[in-house]
Amino acid sequence: MADVNAVAEEMYKLVAEFFGKKNLKAGDLTKAMIEKFGADCTKTDCKLAIRQLMESGRCVYSYFGGSYITLPHKEGAAPE
Amino acid sequence: MSAQAAKRITDIGPPHYDKFLHPVIKKNYGKWVYHETLAPGVLCHVAESGDRIYTVRAGSPRLLSVQTLRRFADLADKYCGGHLRFTSRNNVEFLLDNKEKIEALKKELNELGFPVGGTNNAISNIVHTQGWVHCHSSATDASGIVKAVMDVLYDRFTHEDLPAKLRVALACCLNMCGAVHCSDIAILGIHRRPPKIQHDVLSKVCELPTLISSCPTGAIRTKTVDGKQSVEVVEEQCMYCGNCYTVCPAMPMNDPENDGISIWVGGKVSNARSAPKFSKLAIPYLPNNPPRWPEVVRAVVNIVDVYAKNAKKFERLGEWIDRIGWPRFFELTGIPFTRYHIDDFKHAGLSYARSAHIRF
Amino acid sequence: MADDQKPKTKLLDELEKGPWPSFVKEIKQAGEKSPVCDDLLGQLELSYEEKKGHWKHGGIVGVLGYGGGVIGRYSDLPDKFPNVAHFHTMRVNQPAGWFYTSDAIRTLCDIWERHGSGLTNMHGSTGDIIFLGTKTSELEPAFKELTEAGFDLGGSGSAMRTPSCCVGPARCEWSCYDTLKTCDDLTRQYQDEMHRPPFPYKFKIKCSGCPNDCVASIARADLSIIGTWKDDIRQDDAAVAQYARAGLDIRKDVCDRCPTRCMEWDGQKLAINNRECVHCMHCINVMPKALRPGQERGATLLIGSKAPIVQGALLSSVLVPFVPENELMDTLKELIRRIWEFWDEYGNNRERVGELIQRVGMANFLDAIGLDPAPEMVAAPRDNPYIFFQKEEAAAEPEPAGA
Repeated sequence: MADVNAVAEEMYKLVAEFFGKKNLKAGDLTKAMIEKFGADCTKTDCKLAIRQLMESGRCVYSYFGGSYITLPHKEGAAPE
Repeated sequence: MSAQAAKRITDIGPPHYDKFLHPVIKKNYGKWVYHETLAPGVLCHVAESGDRIYTVRAGSPRLLSVQTLRRFADLADKYCGGHLRFTSRNNVEFLLDNKEKIEALKKELNELGFPVGGTNNAISNIVHTQGWVHCHSSATDASGIVKAVMDVLYDRFTHEDLPAKLRVALACCLNMCGAVHCSDIAILGIHRRPPKIQHDVLSKVCELPTLISSCPTGAIRTKTVDGKQSVEVVEEQCMYCGNCYTVCPAMPMNDPENDGISIWVGGKVSNARSAPKFSKLAIPYLPNNPPRWPEVVRAVVNIVDVYAKNAKKFERLGEWIDRIGWPRFFELTGIPFTRYHIDDFKHAGLSYARSAHIRF
Repeated sequence: MADDQKPKTKLLDELEKGPWPSFVKEIKQAGEKSPVCDDLLGQLELSYEEKKGHWKHGGIVGVLGYGGGVIGRYSDLPDKFPNVAHFHTMRVNQPAGWFYTSDAIRTLCDIWERHGSGLTNMHGSTGDIIFLGTKTSELEPAFKELTEAGFDLGGSGSAMRTPSCCVGPARCEWSCYDTLKTCDDLTRQYQDEMHRPPFPYKFKIKCSGCPNDCVASIARADLSIIGTWKDDIRQDDAAVAQYARAGLDIRKDVCDRCPTRCMEWDGQKLAINNRECVHCMHCINVMPKALRPGQERGATLLIGSKAPIVQGALLSSVLVPFVPENELMDTLKELIRRIWEFWDEYGNNRERVGELIQRVGMANFLDAIGLDPAPEMVAAPRDNPYIFFQKEEAAAEPEPAGA
């Protein structure tokens, strides 16, 4: 078991780094974290970390033909 | 996490169905012996215990106001002890334990404008998508065409006089939220021109690698336009599926002049007799002609009428065509056969006639 | 709103005429209480005039913590139709089998009248209750009331979709497993995968109780669960004779329509060679009082169907020929776990599991999820000789012929 808070923090950094450049899916983040933290970090840890980021409002899901994890922002299609 | 957030209820799923079952259904759950049809749209299921549950099925436009739903609830209270359900084809079903109440319920439904029928060898309700009512990628409307077609096929819903079941479905674009691809008759909205690329915003709102890899034929390539990163579409390779638009809103497909309808026939999902199969192209293009799409209505009614007249008992539309052959189908319906009817996507060769079996 | 302020809808008014129930009437009816419907009608009328849709796809709207269940929708003419500037859809898990009480319907209506347009679909293509059209600010309040009333959202995006099922044992004598229970169990089991999109693309499960497949699972579900039986068709000879006396031509309409010609009628008795029966349901459909599915019941599991986007439409194909009913749920959970693990690892963005199988080959897929190949999985063995032999097998001693 990895520390879910630490995983969430690393995920957040990654999402922030790629914001506006590349869309990351839940699977991309999970793979990246497992690579970073090693076998200690399970898919369940990653799931919990994503959940923490979502429920705290630090990250949001976005959809463009696929569901991505990104930072909250005003979306382009929304009217002024 | 705040106290308020902690109270949030999530991930509970739907209410358990058990709460909603009619007492006769609860008692005889899994113990039904047979059923019979008392009239079009009226079924009687008989249980081992001898109990009977009666079903009255009525067509709905799928798009329902809360006012109409409350009316259904009132009818369920009056006739069914408050029990009703919906079918996979958007019909509403009232469940009664008293046979004597059937006629009065039918009368009220008819007065409210909800026809009773859609069972067995009737045309059931047309499953369909959102269309211009609520979809961003539709090549046509859905509800309007369904209404126009069903107005004319109304008697085929209230009577069971076809050779077999006939399932009609409509999807307003190739995404096929209505999964029409295995229907006796499928009405499918299509685009016929490549997307109109919005070069000025594309790189801001879309991710290029995702966009490029979204194209099933590899028709999208990077291109710099007026100094901005963008893409171009190789027109000869585009078959207007719209997948690029789904991943990138700067690739709109809407085109009032060229969007329209195609008609597909002979699919089925049931395993009865022949195996499930895809619908095949009958008419490659008909124009969008709101509010009543007369060309589409005529085309569908023609296919239904020719099928009804020529098919044998128990033959689904596709099974009838299997027997008489596609040349006869085109001859009997008067639909022209064109180059567009010959597949040219993956595995197209499997659809060529690979024998000398020809009917003259 | 006074009548003279209602939008002029010359084209749509045409669709109030005619005998089939009219969606335009429904929108107008909802408009008596909900002014957003007037703008919906106004925009729809414009679409009818211009032959073109006026919606934009939203990307990030939803309820807190969920990435599924809300479809963002915005008008591309927000100045002209401000009340539908936001017009999002909520997908709500339907109760299995689409059964309701009048009270449950009224509860849903009250919630949607308070927080949305008052327009619904009963139901959407996937099976959810669809609440059509609301503002971003109403999503949380609507969700709160829904969950308090015992309802939850469905899936959207790269997520599990709400499973759906036929009427099953609730009201059908042909159901070979409990479709409602299976559907309900799966819906509850996979709430997380439905609400927090974890996959390359969508994943649908549909449960049909018999091979008539009333929920079109073989055409529309990534995992199709179709009820069937292993033993003999139950046969009531007296009832068969009664059908004959009532005028049914058993030879022509039953025996000759059997796909394997496994039955004979000598004018007195129907003889079925059950070993050759493929469980198509035709004879049972025609004589429901005389023939019934057998008693050794379970399901056939099939995998991979989908609509054309992206690489072409697919029908599901056999994955497990028969699972006994009492093993069904455990088998499904284990199988789904293995399928998702493989798909997670190797699926491309927007690649359904059926397309992944096409890309990597069914045999490799079977290896990955730990299933042995079986002849029921193919319509016929391959007819092309380009076989990818596995290194270790080619090196091994050849097995004797006929082994």
